[in-house]
Amino acid sequence: MATFSFREAQSSNKRKTFFLLGIMGALTWLVLISIFTYLGKSSAAIVPFAVGITLISVWGSYYGSDKLVLTMTGAKLIQESDNPKLFGLVQEITIASGLPMPKVAIVEDSAPNAFATGRNPEHALIAFTTGILDAMDRDQLQGVIAHEMAHVGNRDTLVSAVAATTAGVIALISDILMRMMWFGGGRRDRDSNGNPIMLVVSLVVLILAPIAAMMLKSAISRKRESLADATAVAFTRNPAGLRSALEVLAADSTVVRQKSTAVAHIWIESPLDSKAVSKMFASHPPIQERIATLRAMESLN
Amino acid sequence: MKTTLIVGGIVLLLAIFFIAQYNRLIRLNVAVDEAFAQIEVQLKRRADLIPNLVETVKGYATHEQSTFDAVITARAKATTASTVADVSAADGMLTQALRGLLAVAEAYPDLKASANFMSLQEELSTTENKVAFSRQFYNDSVRLLNTAVKTIPTNFFAGFAKVDEREFYEVDEATNRNAPNVSF
Repeated sequence: MATFSFREAQSSNKRKTFFLLGIMGALTWLVLISIFTYLGKSSAAIVPFAVGITLISVWGSYYGSDKLVLTMTGAKLIQESDNPKLFGLVQEITIASGLPMPKVAIVEDSAPNAFATGRNPEHALIAFTTGILDAMDRDQLQGVIAHEMAHVGNRDTLVSAVAATTAGVIALISDILMRMMWFGGGRRDRDSNGNPIMLVVSLVVLILAPIAAMMLKSAISRKRESLADATAVAFTRNPAGLRSALEVLAADSTVVRQKSTAVAHIWIESPLDSKAVSKMFASHPPIQERIATLRAMESLN
Repeated sequence: MKTTLIVGGIVLLLAIFFIAQYNRLIRLNVAVDEAFAQIEVQLKRRADLIPNLVETVKGYATHEQSTFDAVITARAKATTASTVADVSAADGMLTQALRGLLAVAEAYPDLKASANFMSLQEELSTTENKVAFSRQFYNDSVRLLNTAVKTIPTNFFAGFAKVDEREFYEVDEATNRNAPNVSF
């Protein structure tokens, strides 16, 4: 990997996110064309239906993300008097980033981990496991907080909601089609394009699209993680803090107890077993790669 | 009729463009003011910690009057400064004096072990970091403003908006650019 300054890393990761979101849009468009080719114009009602359902499910959880995640992870909100040292550290990063003070929560869990959520910086929530507070020194925690506040500043809850919506619409359309083929025998009207090659191509697109969408969603998530690392360095100007924090996380084999996949992507270190998921579907870049990138930034200082 | 519409459209677009440039400069300028106010807030918070810290150290280390005097003089200077240059000079002096004080504390194990001193130390290190980060944020804001004042197209509006380049907050030690690491 080439040596990057944090500014270069930030703009490169932003560009890649836009590129991936663009591909996601193109994929949605391809799916829509395919479904029209395959089912004919009368099937158009499926599209608003699929979009509607996905919007309701994803955007509900996006809008209430701070409260929803609290219940899903069992995190408890704390006040400044509960942990003045942690609040001091968070205040440091709010000053460095110019972001408003987020809500702070604690998860009773010995596995070291942390996450950020909330629909916008004004409704942000960052949470830490008791394990991470015990395992890390001041500089390391500062790096972790900067990474979480970077997610807040980069509006990653929004980005992942957009990615989840698109992937959800594609999956739902494909699912509806499969059911229609199963129960209804497929095409219902014959006024559509009768070219058999086109029909086969659209069928293949509809079958493969959900997998491609999942891969794109994971790729976007990985880029946002790298971006958050770079932005964290922009806040603290101290890549060593976050780097050694990631080393602590890499050396630690315990994982956060609750393995709800629904919220797996929000933690700083993925709570899912990395061997079980292939790299293409991982929500986080390999931790060693992240350490290497930060080390490269250190050598620039 | 058609030409009036076209001309009207162009005038409207130009007006929107001018307003956007003007507002951008004003926003950047206000951001610098806010960032500077944040430095002052944090310096004040640090100054407020000092009497307590000096008293605690005095309780254990009675023969270090010169160090105490240096801290108290630096604190008095820091609380009266107002321009960017004065504030940053006083801030640097106080940082030095505080380092001296903490170095003194190193020699007294009882003091280092006292709960009061330890919580003061934690408060002091977070405040030092806040001071450093507010400086960094201020300088980033100044950098954005100065770039806008010097580059096209915003530079054409700088005079009209009465916005000029602003002073960076310089720290006297070059090595002090990062958060000063007060390690205990």
